[in-house]
Amino acid sequence: MRLGLGIFGMQSVPQRPDHHVKLYRDVLEDAELAEALGFDSIWLSEHHFWFDGYCPADIAVAGAILGRTRRLGVGTAVMLLPMHPVEKVAGDAATIGRLGEGRLSLGVALGYRDAEFDGFGVQRKDRGKLMDVMLPRLAESCRSAEPPVPLYVGVATAIAAQRAARLGLPLFADSTMNPDELREMLDAYNAAAAAAGVTPPRAHALQRDVFVTDDRERDWAMLLPELRYMRRQYGGWSFPQEPDETVPAYLQRLESDIEAKLKNLIMGDAARVAARLRDFEALGFDLIVCRSQFGNLPRKSLHRAIEGLSRVRDEVAP
Amino acid sequence: MRLGAGPIALKDTTRMRLESLGEQAVASSFDAMWLSESRAEGVGGGLAAAAMLGQAVPIRVGAAVDAGLYHPLHLAEDIAVADITSQGRLEVLLRVSAEASTYLEEFLRVLAAALSGAHIQFDGEHLRVPARLAANQPVPERLALNPRPAQPAVPIWVEANEASIVKLARELGFGIAAKFQRGAAVPGATGRWPGMLLCGGDVGPNELLAAAGDSAGYFVVAADTPEEVASAGKRLAGPLRMPGFPAWINQQ
Repeated sequence: MRLGLGIFGMQSVPQRPDHHVKLYRDVLEDAELAEALGFDSIWLSEHHFWFDGYCPADIAVAGAILGRTRRLGVGTAVMLLPMHPVEKVAGDAATIGRLGEGRLSLGVALGYRDAEFDGFGVQRKDRGKLMDVMLPRLAESCRSAEPPVPLYVGVATAIAAQRAARLGLPLFADSTMNPDELREMLDAYNAAAAAAGVTPPRAHALQRDVFVTDDRERDWAMLLPELRYMRRQYGGWSFPQEPDETVPAYLQRLESDIEAKLKNLIMGDAARVAARLRDFEALGFDLIVCRSQFGNLPRKSLHRAIEGLSRVRDEVAP
Repeated sequence: MRLGAGPIALKDTTRMRLESLGEQAVASSFDAMWLSESRAEGVGGGLAAAAMLGQAVPIRVGAAVDAGLYHPLHLAEDIAVADITSQGRLEVLLRVSAEASTYLEEFLRVLAAALSGAHIQFDGEHLRVPARLAANQPVPERLALNPRPAQPAVPIWVEANEASIVKLARELGFGIAAKFQRGAAVPGATGRWPGMLLCGGDVGPNELLAAAGDSAGYFVVAADTPEEVASAGKRLAGPLRMPGFPAWINQQ
């Protein structure tokens, strides 16, 4: 099993705002630490036009990280493909993949926030159709790039997995899916691949929220506001208020979604975390991208967690 | 006067080559190292490559990019992030190879507005930002680029053949770039930025000083190898910055 770090969004969060120059300097430092500790890769996230400055240009950051490191893989997790022109993504990835000496990977997915699609003049409801057209073209250009750029498809549903299966592309599974949902999705993937006569990839990638700590109580108190911020943001984007819904009813729905998803966090010492990650490996995931940065944690706390994760890596590495 | 080396074509270039050229540009006293994408050949990533080069050199990094081929907000976002990762050392040359059109005009207007930090609402013939499409409702009436670039204003030059595009670029506060021709002057400054001349590797200091006249100039000099960078730096850096100093000082 390979372990990656991420995803990173370089957000200037209200609970701990920072200048973006510092936040990007920090992620470059985190990448250097990840490389020194022997992690497989670091992964970057994308959203647009958000008040906290969520990173909107992953390949540009990937360029900077590849320039700062020598061995570490750098990936997008995920680029919201239907909002981009596919020729631009292909041209950017081919160049940066070459300059990065084969260390760039692309993860792409649909995206879901109306305001982002709207900024680029794309109808959100067209995203599936757009993906159907764009994904085969991107897959072809990633395959023919020199060196090739590994391409993953970010998924949270069986339909999205089936689209990837027909092209034989590996999945990058969402952090909020539980083992039963993952199993079902992989079944749907394998069935669709078989029906299309495509050989499925050996394994897939998975994202998890993970925090390695020897002092659960102390760190949980520190993490809770960060996790709540992150989940409220993603929750608000995924489940906007319905036209006929009152504000209190909406907030209640959002809060229950947040509280349910907080339980996804894998937290504990290295041995405990390693045991949990092995369960996911057994399902068919050979790359697990672990997110320990939820908002903008104090640097020391984040680095302690990353160092802890490197002990997990020592336990789970082949 | 400012002096840049390049732009280095990204096609078939390796990181090692970019870095060795960049190191020589630093050693040879250039203000900036430039590189160039070529989307017509499928070679993109100019701004991401500048972000990469920015990690290898302490001087400014320039990206020559093809303008008008995709949504201006994607370009604005790439510029902002590349500028932030290089801690405010990014420069950009927008190459406009297409004929002047209302689309190109709108593209430049939206790009300038986005990079300014304005909360945009733009209603053009081709571009509507935000699009406010019925299918996407409800969405905000305006949007802003976030994060913004690190520099208060990223220096951006426009190279275009069409007079109307040059006029608009000037109006929007972009610098003007042109290819060096013997006897022609540096394009006029646009308030913030001196005019830029893209020069061959064989230019001499006196013809560049003559082209600038009483104005400042930004000269980006072609150089494909570290030796060419060194030679151009030795020939130009001293005389352009300290004209009239004796050669035994300026060409050391």
